[in-house]
Amino acid sequence: MLYLTLLLLIPLVGAVTVSLIPGARKQLIRWVAILHAVVALAFAAGLLSLFDTSVAGLQLVEHFEWNPRLGTYYALAIDGFSYPMVLLAALLFLIAIVVSESIRENVKGYYLLMLVLETATIGVFLAQDWVLFYLFWEMTLIPLFFLISRWGGANRHGASINFVLYTMGGSAFILISLLVLYDTLPGKTFEMATMAAGAKTLDEHRQLLIFLGLLIGFGVKIPIFPLHGWLPLAHVEAPSPVSILLSGILLKMGAYGLIRAAAMLPAAVIELQPVLTALALIGLIYGGLLAWRQRDLKCMIAYSSVSHMGVVVLGIATLNVTALTGAVMQMVAHGLVAAILFLLIGLLYERTHTRNVDEYSSLIRVTPRLAFFTILAFVAMIGLPGTASFIAELHTLIGSYERWGWVAAILAIGILISAAYAVRTIGYLFTGPVRPSTRDIDDLRPHELLAASVLAAGIVLVGVYPAPALALMAASVDQFSTIFAGRF
Amino acid sequence: MPEQMIALVPTLPWLAALWIALNRVAGRNRDVFGERATFLPTLGASVAALLILVVLDVAALRNGVPGQVRLGDWFASGNYVVGIGFAVDGLSLSLGTLTAFLSLLVVVFSVNYMHREKGFQRYFFAINLFAGAMSLIMLAGNAVLTFVGWELAGVSSYMLIGYALDRPAATANANRAFITNRIGDAGFVLSIFFAYTWIGDVEWGRINGHAGDAGTLSVLMIGAGFVIAALAKSAQVPFSPWIARALDGPTPSSAIFYGVLMVHAGVYLLLRMEPLLLEAPGIMVALVVLGLLTAFYGWVCGLVQSDVKSSLMFATTAQVGLMFVWCGLGWFQLAAWHLGLHACWRAYLFLHAPSLMFMVSRRAKAAPEWLTKSRWLYTAALQHFWIEPIGDALIAEPAIKLAQDTKVFEERVVTPLVALPSQTNAITSLHQWEGRRAGEGGAPQDEVGRGEGLAGKMVQGVASALHWFEDQMVLKGSGEGLLTSLRRVGAHLTRIEFLLSQPRYLLYLVLIVFVIVL
Repeated sequence: MLYLTLLLLIPLVGAVTVSLIPGARKQLIRWVAILHAVVALAFAAGLLSLFDTSVAGLQLVEHFEWNPRLGTYYALAIDGFSYPMVLLAALLFLIAIVVSESIRENVKGYYLLMLVLETATIGVFLAQDWVLFYLFWEMTLIPLFFLISRWGGANRHGASINFVLYTMGGSAFILISLLVLYDTLPGKTFEMATMAAGAKTLDEHRQLLIFLGLLIGFGVKIPIFPLHGWLPLAHVEAPSPVSILLSGILLKMGAYGLIRAAAMLPAAVIELQPVLTALALIGLIYGGLLAWRQRDLKCMIAYSSVSHMGVVVLGIATLNVTALTGAVMQMVAHGLVAAILFLLIGLLYERTHTRNVDEYSSLIRVTPRLAFFTILAFVAMIGLPGTASFIAELHTLIGSYERWGWVAAILAIGILISAAYAVRTIGYLFTGPVRPSTRDIDDLRPHELLAASVLAAGIVLVGVYPAPALALMAASVDQFSTIFAGRF
Repeated sequence: MPEQMIALVPTLPWLAALWIALNRVAGRNRDVFGERATFLPTLGASVAALLILVVLDVAALRNGVPGQVRLGDWFASGNYVVGIGFAVDGLSLSLGTLTAFLSLLVVVFSVNYMHREKGFQRYFFAINLFAGAMSLIMLAGNAVLTFVGWELAGVSSYMLIGYALDRPAATANANRAFITNRIGDAGFVLSIFFAYTWIGDVEWGRINGHAGDAGTLSVLMIGAGFVIAALAKSAQVPFSPWIARALDGPTPSSAIFYGVLMVHAGVYLLLRMEPLLLEAPGIMVALVVLGLLTAFYGWVCGLVQSDVKSSLMFATTAQVGLMFVWCGLGWFQLAAWHLGLHACWRAYLFLHAPSLMFMVSRRAKAAPEWLTKSRWLYTAALQHFWIEPIGDALIAEPAIKLAQDTKVFEERVVTPLVALPSQTNAITSLHQWEGRRAGEGGAPQDEVGRGEGLAGKMVQGVASALHWFEDQMVLKGSGEGLLTSLRRVGAHLTRIEFLLSQPRYLLYLVLIVFVIVL
């Protein structure tokens, strides 16, 4: 059974079905899209029964020759790094599609693009051939560009072009690196495993150059300071469901790519370890402080993403089991937390048409359900015990302390800063007098409540009982860190 | 295991107290109807405790005293072990039985005396707490356990002095008495610490047994702390005045606390430490001096009192002072007998006090002539020798001044440095918000990204620098800048394209190429 191909096909079939329905039947289109997203999530979750957590290598491998003259393959597989991301992607796409009710114009195109984007995103995590990976990687750009530039905010055109230019610029570096690698290696193939085996034998200098290219490419996506220029603009201008996806899963593609690149070019990573760590820590503090200065709520969450993805980069750069577990965990945790935050703030924006934090007050009396979930989300963002972020930050903190000693305290400062802006925002949004302008805001509607509770439940569940999630990634993380064991 | 039953003696009254509290919370013993449900467990616990002690007494008379009974460890950390142990010897058994007996009498008296009082349940809760605490003081085998009883006795005394919650004077007096007692508690804790440090144990037997080889200074320090505790609890000079303020409680509680039992706790502590005190002659001298002073103080002040309870109280103080003198002179046996007899006698007097007016027809005796003639002494007696104002001037006022200085330091130095969380002065009303928006205290626009305190200001500075960098370099510089430069390059290319499309420029180009090639 070609399970993974099937998984890729489900949203794609949805996209085709949507394209066949007349554009006027908006509700039908919406329900078809939701149905396919549900099926995709159920299918992805069903793979859990086939996934063996004790195996470190690739599983459910599908391997077909694609272009023998270039040595490209149609190769799909999952392992402990990609499977959690696939699950996260399927979940977040469903959530994003469910809360897309506010999209009223050109509904058909919107859901079509969303479903194509889902296929492309999941494809990135499944691909086991660099050309296939690159293909899916670029395939995410096109729907995103249209989603932002058609359904986005006031400054959407600038934002979408900026976003595409940045990412394409990054992709160009990835492509060059891959081509150089292809050219250098005797195998003449783009298959990941073969390339990785060959790349390890290269001398340090060449590895370094290739890794730098990949780092720039993936660094734009993560984003690593100072390559994050596209992020605030794109997150703010994108429609809320797309913001959920951008922050929730698309940033994780960069981190995932970085993990794959690091496993392929170990010597270069060890050489660059201090630089990566420094960039991660700078991003952590930099993003946090800027988030603290934002009055625009979406902008604040966008910068907080820069800060929290710094934790991921720190975890990867530390190269030991504990920190890498923290990094992968943080990818999941931040996916959930950023998604619920963008979801709730987006819903709030739909109701009030302002994202300025000053203009809110005492929402806890007006919209108690929204307030409950928002406070939970902010608290999870700080990494309070009992939430998924806590598990992630704790692992990263312990791991990086083992490697770097007291430098890890900077991570703690970053967490402190995030507490500052999270608590500040809670104060602004929910306390104070009831103002005339915010007196008549509707509370969450049932389907929004469902979406928020699913995410909140995920955050708390992983936070309180992290063992299953940790088991999912443990074998692959262990294998990854054995590459580096004893080399620094 | 009859010896182990001794643990039940303090526990039973506490269980009764717990039962009363739980029923009170559950609303099952409220008001007059709940009085039976309140005093029956209390009576039961008191009788049972007394019976257990009597059984133990009989056993001890037959087979001799078992000495220490150790039930296990309470807590242990490294070398420091605190056991749950009881001292079952002649001293503790006799005085413990007396305590249980007098507690029972007071409980029986209180059932009628407190009838239809509003705080009936509260009163019996505190009495139970006290009965358990007092038994623990008498029976505990180590200083830490004694201290538990010591503190609980203080707390229940605080609860009963302040029994009349609606009278500010009662509450103030309760505070006063409790705080004065805390000075003694500090001495107690210090002595426990010293005993740990120098003797390595807190069992009474060990403390006393090793007193000889611990060095004079150590013994002096350990003894001094315990003696301060004893002086405070037994209201000796200079701690005496608190007991005069303690009369605000209901009469039976005054009786049991300040006439009968708690006031003797200090003497009991001295009796318990007999071997240690014998090693510290300096303390013995101090005991004699302070005891005599107290006796004199109690006697003279007692002469000028006009109400029954106060006279009894000063008489008690004087008697307890004498007990301290006996201890100081080394006549511990005498002090013990004096204690027991005085407790019984004083219980009788105190419990009679409420009905004294009905039983006695003649007027109270006036102060003796020699005292009224000496105006100075008479005033001093009326003013309780100004001990309280002196204490206030020496301790309370400097403490208050220090607190004021600390507050000023906090407000002027610490708060500006550390800053309060900004939420503490957040807007709470619409009116405030409108006002703020109208321009008083700055527009609300400036609130975001503003730090308070030194750290906050630093963070604010760094954050605004980073913000500038982000704005200028990252967003305008590379994001929008990229677009602008692309547009500019595009414009140039368009111009070149336009020029190239003109035939004459193409001709020029061809000519130039030729020139270069040739």
